[in-house]
Amino acid sequence: MHWKSTLATAALASLAFAALTGTASAAGPTCADGVIKVGAVSTVTGPADFSEVPKATQAAFDAVNAAGGINGCKIEYTIADDKADPAVAAQAARDLIDNQEVVALVGSASLLDCAVNATTYARKNVLSVQGLGVDAACFSSPSVAPVNVGPYTLSTAVAYYATNELKTQKLCAFFIIIGGTQEAYKKGIENWEKLTGQKVHLLDLTLPFQGDLTPYVIKARDAGCDAVLTNQVEPQVVQLIKTVDAQKVTGINWLFLAPGYTEQVAKALADTQQPIYVGTEWEPYTEQGSEANKQWTADMTKAGQPLTAFSQGGYLAAQIFLEVLKGIDGEVTRESVAEALLKMKPISNPLAGSPYVFGEAATHNPMQATKVMKLEKGAWTVQTPEWVVLPAIQ
Amino acid sequence: MNELLTSAVAGLTAGGTYALLGVCAVFTYRLVAVVNFTGAAIGTAGTFVLIALYEAGFPLWPSVLAGVVAGTIVGVLVGLVMTTWFSEANASTKAAVTVALLVGMIAIGLRLTGGQHPHVMPDLFPGSAFRLAGVEVTIASALTIGLAVLFTVLADRFLNATRTGLHLRALSERPMAAELLGVRVQLLSVLVWAVTGTFTTFALMIIAPQRSPNFMTLSLLVVPALAAALVGLFRSFWITLAGGIMLGVVEGLASSFDGVSQYRGAIPFVVVVAVLLWSQREARWDDAR
Repeated sequence: MHWKSTLATAALASLAFAALTGTASAAGPTCADGVIKVGAVSTVTGPADFSEVPKATQAAFDAVNAAGGINGCKIEYTIADDKADPAVAAQAARDLIDNQEVVALVGSASLLDCAVNATTYARKNVLSVQGLGVDAACFSSPSVAPVNVGPYTLSTAVAYYATNELKTQKLCAFFIIIGGTQEAYKKGIENWEKLTGQKVHLLDLTLPFQGDLTPYVIKARDAGCDAVLTNQVEPQVVQLIKTVDAQKVTGINWLFLAPGYTEQVAKALADTQQPIYVGTEWEPYTEQGSEANKQWTADMTKAGQPLTAFSQGGYLAAQIFLEVLKGIDGEVTRESVAEALLKMKPISNPLAGSPYVFGEAATHNPMQATKVMKLEKGAWTVQTPEWVVLPAIQ
Repeated sequence: MNELLTSAVAGLTAGGTYALLGVCAVFTYRLVAVVNFTGAAIGTAGTFVLIALYEAGFPLWPSVLAGVVAGTIVGVLVGLVMTTWFSEANASTKAAVTVALLVGMIAIGLRLTGGQHPHVMPDLFPGSAFRLAGVEVTIASALTIGLAVLFTVLADRFLNATRTGLHLRALSERPMAAELLGVRVQLLSVLVWAVTGTFTTFALMIIAPQRSPNFMTLSLLVVPALAAALVGLFRSFWITLAGGIMLGVVEGLASSFDGVSQYRGAIPFVVVVAVLLWSQREARWDDAR
């Protein structure tokens, strides 16, 4: 019996040893042939150019690769241009998933990627850490979780700021509705109503993308609005304020979303006396000396990338994804990455006011915080050094 | 009632723009027989030369002059394309060519001017002219309407009362016959393109600061302008003028009715269809076909 028990002990010991070495070799992510393939579907050519977002993601990955990669694995990153064309976008996603065999999408920024591809991503179990969620589907799909607040939640946040800090009593909201965004904007305003107990004074969903804005300015003035929120993008922000000045309207706070927050807008509106506020998606990029921007500024400068809000989004998406990758034990596959994202703990980054989490919910909008900037004499100044964080809605 | 008047006056700014560009469209059509989709884009090109120079720190009025010259040159270039290769083509071919040119100009223009980014747009005529029904009518919009009227009078007189005008009308209707009669066809046509280029550029420079300042939205002002021209059936300057202003006023009115205002962008289209139906009301099936 003695030899048997010795044998059993030896067997047990070797098993334990095997188990130990097994764990040791599986600590951290591994990869089959030294690369981890990641992709992005972004609008590069076409009516808008969001390429700064995935290029910043690229720069962040390049820096990691130059330092030896993740556990020796290099990240191979492919940016596909969707040209703002649904057919091209669908084709780009299929190519990344089926031919390039990417494990996840990181840093995408597109006018229509989510709307076109979110169901494909869900079906193929490829998840997207969107660098800049634009269309409403980015915030209402199980397979996509953007690192930005997005126009809908940002509408709630900027209105919330106006109520609390600017003491707005009669909030008016004018939205340009493109595609299926109407419900999302309405929901944004409803959420603000729930948070503040106020009712929106005037909600106009007919703001034109182009055309004269005089009738709308007159409408806001005659309705007695003390703050007007719009989702206009750069050129229309300038047009609206010029029209407001031409009509000599005063006493209204003008609230815009992140697309209005650019240096070109500041420059074009340097002469106006109107109180103009914007909500940012991340730590204000114009505050380049700030502690929160330090790492991003250093990395982007080194990579020769522009220091814009877009590049913050791409950079943030990369950082979050790298963090998630590092937590994977074993081979990095589509399945292991998806599981890691679904089971991840919230990750904080100084660039954002909320911790990022993908998680298993049916829709994702983890980012719920903004900083508000005010335009003063052609420059953006921070109004809220602390983040304006939306409380959870009951 | 007062509210309606306010909205109507608020639409005047847009109306003046449509009228002015519409009258230019009729001018081009009557003289060189082209339904010109590039009208506003030619003016926009010149305007962006002004903006580039102004942003680079050049003084305002010399930049304006340079911009007008640039717009004139673009007009001449488009004119050369049209007269060299398409002078004998039928009206719909010519219109299709200008649409193609418009698409090309917008694509190039957007790239060269930095896409959707706004620019510092100098206000040539800042300030407000007067206040009507609670709306500030700016000097720029009053001037736009004034220029539209002026151009209407000039064009009308020129075509109906001068020998060159007569030549040009002959030219647009029978270019070959006109040439045989000794009219210098190509020169006259290119001159017409140059004049419209100059005029639309100056017009766009006044209009641009009130609009969303990017290449595409400014170039696409041609759509309501052509609707206005169609109200005048591409013949009458005066009816085009009235049609343009009416379009703007209707748009202004529409924005005060919640149910209608989301379809505001479709108003030029509705006007076009209505005018076509009205103008064909007495045509019998065979004629209308």
